[in-house]
Amino acid sequence: MNHLSQDELIELYYREDAPEGARHMDTCSECARKYEALQADLADMKALDPPFLPENYGEMVWNSISGQVPVHAGLRRPLFQRVLPRQSWLRQPLWIGLSVAATCALLAAAAFYAGRLWEHRNSPPPIASHPAPPARQRVVVVVLSDHLDRSERLLVQLKHANADDTQLAMPLRDEARSLLAANRKCRQEAEANGDPALTKALDHLNELLNGLANQPGGLNADAIAKLQAEMNKDGLLFEVRVLRSRIPNRQAAVHLKGGIA
Amino acid sequence: MGCMGKNDHATIRAVLSGDKEAYGALVVQHSRSVFRVAYRITGNEADAEEVVQDAFIRGYRKLESFESRSNFGTWIYRIAVRCALDRISRRVGDKNDRAIDHAEADSEAVQIPDRAPNPEQMLLSGEIGAFRETAMHSLTPLERTAFTLRHMEDCSMEEIAAVLEIAPNAAKQAVYRAVHKLRQRLALLKVRT
Repeated sequence: MNHLSQDELIELYYREDAPEGARHMDTCSECARKYEALQADLADMKALDPPFLPENYGEMVWNSISGQVPVHAGLRRPLFQRVLPRQSWLRQPLWIGLSVAATCALLAAAAFYAGRLWEHRNSPPPIASHPAPPARQRVVVVVLSDHLDRSERLLVQLKHANADDTQLAMPLRDEARSLLAANRKCRQEAEANGDPALTKALDHLNELLNGLANQPGGLNADAIAKLQAEMNKDGLLFEVRVLRSRIPNRQAAVHLKGGIA
Repeated sequence: MGCMGKNDHATIRAVLSGDKEAYGALVVQHSRSVFRVAYRITGNEADAEEVVQDAFIRGYRKLESFESRSNFGTWIYRIAVRCALDRISRRVGDKNDRAIDHAEADSEAVQIPDRAPNPEQMLLSGEIGAFRETAMHSLTPLERTAFTLRHMEDCSMEEIAAVLEIAPNAAKQAVYRAVHKLRQRLALLKVRT
């Protein structure tokens, strides 16, 4: 049989929920004897009776301390401290800080709105109202006549180019690349306007420009000679000049959205 | 742990509104229970008097933090226990300081005999209170306070833990250690008699 430890006996003495110990005491004489000894010892430690206090003891205490305490100003505490329970989460420093910040933001917004309202009411009426200009749009205007002019100059250069002159290749290629995008736009406009002759001519021009700009293996002497032959065969230069002459004063323009140099 | 007067809350509101004298009514109402626990923990009247004053002054200064749903009697009782614990802790510290001073001076100073009665003298003179107090001196301040609250004030372990701001299990262990030490001390004293 396991006997009760002194802690268990103490637990039993103070009735700290020890039902097993209590049952054990009924059957174990040794533990019962130990328990009686514990009771006797703790009986010796009975509570001290306080000494006699005079009838007016409380008044005496107050008289001795009243000079040491200031008048309270407790009701000057912030309203939220008086209203909210002490353990409320709204009284935590974080929430207090956030509340103050939110209040400041609200006041600032209200002040701003009031200022705007006041300014609106006190400003002189406008003399005339002008519609706001439309937002500027990045627009590149490609004038067909200009495009045909540049294309004509390129074709002339190509026609008279010495196929062995490698220094000419680079400028031709760059100019062709520059004209390709504008040519594509012009062709779209021509097709949209129902101008098959212009559309066909611009298609031919597109093939030549594409050959100059994106020649596989680079624009070498052979490629130049080949392109010269194609140009002459199709009479492209002539065709471009005819188109150019058809629109001497025409302000043909194509509006391009986007970046075309 | 004391009872709450019906008008305590109204009195506290009056004090917080600036009526300092209203606090006197609370002192009158609760000073005896505060003195009782202070006396049982400190073991002497002079210290208990000091604790009562300290507790009510501290209570007055912290009155703004008093929660309206609380019981003022319980609240001031807890403050008094803390004050008493502080006082006996300081007393132990002072004794230790004096012991160190004496040890340092041993080599050159004439030793002054301890005039306090030894256990045998106390028992022989039948001073049961002093006998008990001698046993209580074997406890640490925390053990003494916890034991007093459990054994003499009939506080539960949870109440003791709350008052001493420790875990309930720590409170229980403090009480049990106190009983062990007291029994050892008492056994020694009984053998000597």
